[in-house]
Amino acid sequence: MSPVTSSRQQVLGRNWAAMRNPAATAEEAAEGYARLERDYVMRGDMTAKACQELFVERLREYDAEVVECAPEELGATIAAQLQSSGRHTFVAPPGLSAAWLVPVAWQISGFEWNIDHDLPMDEIDKAEGVVTACFCAVADSGTIVLHHSATEGRRVITLLPDWHLCVVRASQIVETLPEYFDRCKQPPALVTWISGPSATADIEMTRIKGVHGPRFLQVILVRDEC
Amino acid sequence: MSAASEHEVIDHPILDPALAPPFPVAALPLLRNSQLRKNVAHAIDVIQAKRARLVAEKRDWQTLRAAAAAIKEHVLENLGVYLEQFEARCTAAGGTVHWARDAADARRIILELLRKEKADEVIKIKTMTSAEIQLNPYLESNGVRAYETDLAEIILQLGGGEPSHIVVPALHVNRSQVREIFARRMGIENLSDEPKALTAAARNYLRQKFLSVPTAISGANFLIAETGSVAIVESEGNGRMCLTLPRTMITLAGIEKVLPRFADLEVMLQLLARSATGERMNPYTSLWTGVTPGDGPQRFHIVLLDNGRSSILARKTERQTLRCIRCAACINTCPVYRQTGGHAYGSVYPGPIGAILTPQLEQMRHAQSLPYASSLCGACYEVCPVKINIPEVLLELRARVTDDERHQVSRFFDPIYLGLRVANVIFSRAWLFYAAQRMGRIGLRFFTQKDGWIHSLPSVGAKWTQTRDLRGLPRQTFHGWWADRQRRMK
Repeated sequence: MSPVTSSRQQVLGRNWAAMRNPAATAEEAAEGYARLERDYVMRGDMTAKACQELFVERLREYDAEVVECAPEELGATIAAQLQSSGRHTFVAPPGLSAAWLVPVAWQISGFEWNIDHDLPMDEIDKAEGVVTACFCAVADSGTIVLHHSATEGRRVITLLPDWHLCVVRASQIVETLPEYFDRCKQPPALVTWISGPSATADIEMTRIKGVHGPRFLQVILVRDEC
Repeated sequence: MSAASEHEVIDHPILDPALAPPFPVAALPLLRNSQLRKNVAHAIDVIQAKRARLVAEKRDWQTLRAAAAAIKEHVLENLGVYLEQFEARCTAAGGTVHWARDAADARRIILELLRKEKADEVIKIKTMTSAEIQLNPYLESNGVRAYETDLAEIILQLGGGEPSHIVVPALHVNRSQVREIFARRMGIENLSDEPKALTAAARNYLRQKFLSVPTAISGANFLIAETGSVAIVESEGNGRMCLTLPRTMITLAGIEKVLPRFADLEVMLQLLARSATGERMNPYTSLWTGVTPGDGPQRFHIVLLDNGRSSILARKTERQTLRCIRCAACINTCPVYRQTGGHAYGSVYPGPIGAILTPQLEQMRHAQSLPYASSLCGACYEVCPVKINIPEVLLELRARVTDDERHQVSRFFDPIYLGLRVANVIFSRAWLFYAAQRMGRIGLRFFTQKDGWIHSLPSVGAKWTQTRDLRGLPRQTFHGWWADRQRRMK
């Protein structure tokens, strides 16, 4: 018996032995799990509009900047945001629609898009900003959820650039965290929950924005419903 | 050097329970360190106020707590099932699962993995479990340099300090002390003591390490049995750097960290950030599942650590200790911790949770003084997001410490146990009890002052009168008074 296997058997063996019901099976565990009481709030009671307002308020509390636009204005709004950021090199995930990206190029001189088709790390590190979509957003905690699909990009592109512009459609906003989990038909393999720009309070509990992740989080809220 | 030592609050506390002095001894120098106490009290007050505000606004706080406690208890009752499920799913997703019986086992597994990677340096996400197994000094002595990347951990690593809290490990260090450490160790002249400047210095210091070191070590906040995923909760983004950029990721997790389903995070994530830092949500939470081609580390190892945990499972009262999600709410609310800070506990887990976890992880062989490091006020139970009844476990552990001690031959003449044996004889016979009462009243009269109080007693009694006065015995017992009254009535 290899030492690894024997460690495994010992740890598990001790676990089984410590249980009241040493013969517990996966089926019994599943039955017990189904009986667990969950009386917490599963679904919020806000109107869609109030929910959007709450989301924006929460983001601003985290020092994220938010602008709103109509669906047909999105390309122009992205262009305006990039321009006013004063930055020139940006990364975008491969799945973003051309309508989001095209209006920018002819408005800013010296502008450069780097579409992430497996860009090397130092290229991404050199970029000044990144533009992505998201999977979902939670109003109650001001959280943006990325599942890292083709429109949200690999994890590294929303990590190294210092400025993250994220497009959130109003229809993607849910009020409570359980509603987000309800929207996940299948558990995703990769998730990043982002609530404001990176921060620390390790020195005298003073909250400082921006440590290692992007120091600036910018959100465009697209009013695609109501 | 003399200027530096004036500011030195980071002396060298011992956080190895096998070597640390008992709590009352370790606490004394800390109680005399007014700077340290000021730093701790300030940090605690800030977190407490933020937490209280955010918990009050959450309408379903109590039902969330109840659900979290139920999920965790269910996991502990079926731990073997969920661990095997986790192992199967994680392996299917491209991860490699290792099992470690104890700290030495875990250290050896991790070092072997690093040797295979030919790694001579490694970047780390803050993990209390690695501190528990004393991983860094072990790696160091085997030629692997470990770089901590959490701001507080950098402060401690560069300053040669020890953690005094599980969420904000350097809360006992203030800004001017951080400035001194960074200026000296990073070689920066004219560094200001503004937290913003200090944070920027840490960012620059680590950036190159993140981009170049190919191996990382992390802990885990949650493991998901359903999918074989690992979740890490953080603020700074150093965690995301470590779990995204390197080629190889090694995660060390206690076996109690597993949750049945992905959706169970909807309970835990709502409780954790509010309890830990007083935020509605921490800036970043990451979840990954084995290996994802083209995204993040392409080799993933997870070491599942027992190290005394499964022996806790067998005991019904103590088992709840393993529900802990390491939020530190109990530490922040504890009146004892507020006075002593974390180093007095002689363990990487301080405060109320440390007082019950440490002696149990040590199989009650060390840290026996910790169950007594509490006033049993119950504040810790009230704030605990997974409803661990810490006072109940403290009492259970005190009983075990006492049971253990009173059978030791060397304690036969210990005044306390001697006294208790005598009391046992006296209390079980009424005539002896009345006689003892009379004797006691006569005896104590010698120590009772004119004001009716006893200000000092000899021997064991001094343990009481050192810090407080004792009221002298009244002339008559209640029993005697009642008997007199009955006689008078007739």
